Amino acid sequence: MIALLGPEISWYLAVAGFLFATGSLGVLLRRNPLIVLLSLEIMLNGANLALIGFSRNLGDGGGQIFALAVMAVAASEVVVGLGLVVALNRKRVTLDVDRLNTLRG
Amino acid sequence: MVYGAWICLLSPLVAACLITLGGVRVSRRTAGFLATASCFVAFGGAVASFIGLLGRDSSQREILSTAWTWVTGGSYQSGLQVLIDPLSVFMMLVVSGVGALIVWYSIGYMDGDDEERRYFAYMALFVFSMLLLVQGGNLLLLLAGWGMVGLSSYLLIGYWHERPSAVAAAKKAFVMNAIGDATMALAFFLLIKEGNSLEFGILGGEFSSTVTNLVALGLLGGAVAKSAQIPLHTWLPDAMEGPTPVSALIHAATMVTAGVYLIARTHAIFEAAPKIADLAAGLGALTLLVAGLIALVQVDIKRVIAYSTMSQIGYMFVGAGVGSYPNAMFHLMTHAFFKALLFMAAGIVIHALVNEQDIRKMGGLRQLAPKTYWAFLIGSLALVGIFPFAGFFSKDSILAAALAHGGWYGYLLWAAGLIGTLLTGLYTFRLLFIVFWGEPSAFVREHFHPLGRDVVAVSLAIPVGVLSVLSIVGGWIQFSPWWHPVETWLQTVAEPTVSPASWQEWLSIALSLLLGLSGIAVAWAIYGAKRVAVPRIAWAQRTFEHKFWFDEAYDALFYAPSVFLANLLRRGIEQPVIADSGRDLGDDTRDLGGLVARVQTGLLRTYALAIASSVAVLAVVFVIVK
Amino acid sequence: MLVASAGNVVVWMVWIVAAFACLGSGVAVVSFSSPFYSALALIGNLGSLAVLYLLLNAEFVAAAQVLVYAGAVMVMFLFVIAYIGPRSESPWMGGPGWQAVGAVLAAGALLVEIVVVISLKASGQLAHSEHVDATFGTPAYIGRLFLTDHLLAFEITSIVLLVAAVGGVILGAHSRRSPEEVPSL
Repeated sequence: MIALLGPEISWYLAVAGFLFATGSLGVLLRRNPLIVLLSLEIMLNGANLALIGFSRNLGDGGGQIFALAVMAVAASEVVVGLGLVVALNRKRVTLDVDRLNTLRG
Repeated sequence: MVYGAWICLLSPLVAACLITLGGVRVSRRTAGFLATASCFVAFGGAVASFIGLLGRDSSQREILSTAWTWVTGGSYQSGLQVLIDPLSVFMMLVVSGVGALIVWYSIGYMDGDDEERRYFAYMALFVFSMLLLVQGGNLLLLLAGWGMVGLSSYLLIGYWHERPSAVAAAKKAFVMNAIGDATMALAFFLLIKEGNSLEFGILGGEFSSTVTNLVALGLLGGAVAKSAQIPLHTWLPDAMEGPTPVSALIHAATMVTAGVYLIARTHAIFEAAPKIADLAAGLGALTLLVAGLIALVQVDIKRVIAYSTMSQIGYMFVGAGVGSYPNAMFHLMTHAFFKALLFMAAGIVIHALVNEQDIRKMGGLRQLAPKTYWAFLIGSLALVGIFPFAGFFSKDSILAAALAHGGWYGYLLWAAGLIGTLLTGLYTFRLLFIVFWGEPSAFVREHFHPLGRDVVAVSLAIPVGVLSVLSIVGGWIQFSPWWHPVETWLQTVAEPTVSPASWQEWLSIALSLLLGLSGIAVAWAIYGAKRVAVPRIAWAQRTFEHKFWFDEAYDALFYAPSVFLANLLRRGIEQPVIADSGRDLGDDTRDLGGLVARVQTGLLRTYALAIASSVAVLAVVFVIVK
Repeated sequence: MLVASAGNVVVWMVWIVAAFACLGSGVAVVSFSSPFYSALALIGNLGSLAVLYLLLNAEFVAAAQVLVYAGAVMVMFLFVIAYIGPRSESPWMGGPGWQAVGAVLAAGALLVEIVVVISLKASGQLAHSEHVDATFGTPAYIGRLFLTDHLLAFEITSIVLLVAAVGGVILGAHSRRSPEEVPSL
């Protein structure tokens, strides 16, 4: 049986938290949809890190399974998001999130 | 006998329902015959009840027949009851008999009208309502009948509803009657509160004098409104807008006499409140004088007869007010005969002159319509009270009873009645001379067309003939000094409180006959032989023509302020608060929606910020809760 | 906490490097104005994360991270950025001032909450990590879990991928062109 070497899990969780906060800042502050998608990836990765950390802490493999599923879903979401961006580009629409407000009520 | 009474009550109702439900499937003539037949059946039922009562001992002549318990509330209870006693049978005979004749007359009079069926349905409804009123076994059913005759009157006055004057007159009649209904209802509320019952017997109960006076006053209010006495009299002349048979039946023979019947029926409470009874007599006396004066200047043939009705009911009120109930009822009966006769004869005249009612255009009809002239003459003589016609016997007993009432008040009433007799002779024969004597006027020569020999003529002629006969012989039933079966008949129900001495009777008879003949003589001098010019007193003429300014006073006192108040309420409350509030509600909702819609900025970043902040807040909440 | 041993020191060193690389590249992704540089920074982020996963005995996940995420997803990103070209530049920030303030506050609040909540609730549990055996995190281990305990998740994830693929194709397909020429008579 292997013990955990190095920092305790809490350190990993701190990193995960920082990653999540950074990613959310990017989502909220950037205007380019591509950058927004990238920041979204950062957030997802932060969550993944937390999952893996807890999985190691509890000795349960389910966390890693969950992380793999998250990865698959993130990939799918990126596919759809980039498809949208490409379609927008083809219609010669400005790639600026603040200009894309036709759903205004 | 009990069946007779129920058949009497219900047969006109059946006719009304059949005509109404039959609609256009029933021909117009059939509707007329149905209504007439139902009234004759009712008369048959009344006769059956009469015979049944006659067979009984005089102390056992009160039968209350209950169909079922109609209203119960706590300890209060009212049944659907029919009362068969001498007074109600008396009224049943008059109402159904005269009613049947008038409805028969209407077949001819209303012939050719587009909506005859509606007319006959309403007439049948009226006869039913009036019978309910007189046959009702308790005050509640009396009130039901009371209201329904008011309704029928409204429907029939406004029968020709395309005429705005008719509609206005109908509304006026209904509103003034409603005032009386309201006072009666208040009196009934008091009775229920104090006595917990609306049976007729409760009226003899012991109440405090305030309650007694208030109840009597309320009942008097209803009687005054229904019988068109001062101050609630202004609706009756306007009610002449209705067809002539309606005026004959409702506003001469039956409905307007319901007030007198009410006082006779509830005499116990009037005897317990003598001041109110005196008030009733005083109002009657005042009305008979005022109406007589106004009738002197009227130029519409029907309005003269209407004011005459008002005046004669004044006599009945005097009679009932001083306590001579049988005499008042007897005068009611004879008045029904000759007044209906006068109206029907006038109706024949109007029909013959293409619906012209202005007497200034008439003249000389004596040669052209001799039978009508004779009918009118008989009716007029009966009205003035000339021996041996009907009015002679009934009116003079009332005068004698007023004299017997005693005190200065009795003398005052007696004097008013005598002056009224003079006025009656004057205006009645003024009418007769102007319409029938002299040479035929240009209008008459141009438009007069006599009746033929068809169903119409028969239906017009026979009822007139029957009533003429009754006006001649009908009074002979009772001649107060010598024989009085009417009084004996009604005594068990309404014991008169005055019995005039013989000399009072004979004095009244002599003076009233003298004054009546003088009135006829003066009228003959002015209008018949045209020896004397029509007196011209400008202020009197104006006052009479304006009907003593009652209409103008009521307009200023009640109508104008009500209209002002209604407009004020409409502008101040109804328009801004009720009408606009719906629209404002919609506008406000839309504006609110607009405000809410501003959250939808369409910007991705705003939505993301909202999600992030919500998550932050919720996390804190979860931590605190957990 | 600090167990002084040779293996431990090495792990600590690696951890410090990887963690700082991770955080730095994360900040870089959010800060660069050009999406190309941001994408490259993200690749660095993913790589450092893979190292961290390795330290946590999740070998398969680390490998998948590098292969799938850094290898496929990021390449796709770079393809699209290159395809769009110069049009992909856009102002860094704009919009209402309160939005920026609100964003910072929200992000800060989230971070604080994560720290506070985890330390309040789980600090007892976190103090001591389980000892795992050597097979923990190996592909065989993951594979067994996928095919036994978490079969449903496995199947549904595959369907999600299929849907995404179909969606991507539809989104990317060229729209039908309407006829531009009117036939001349």
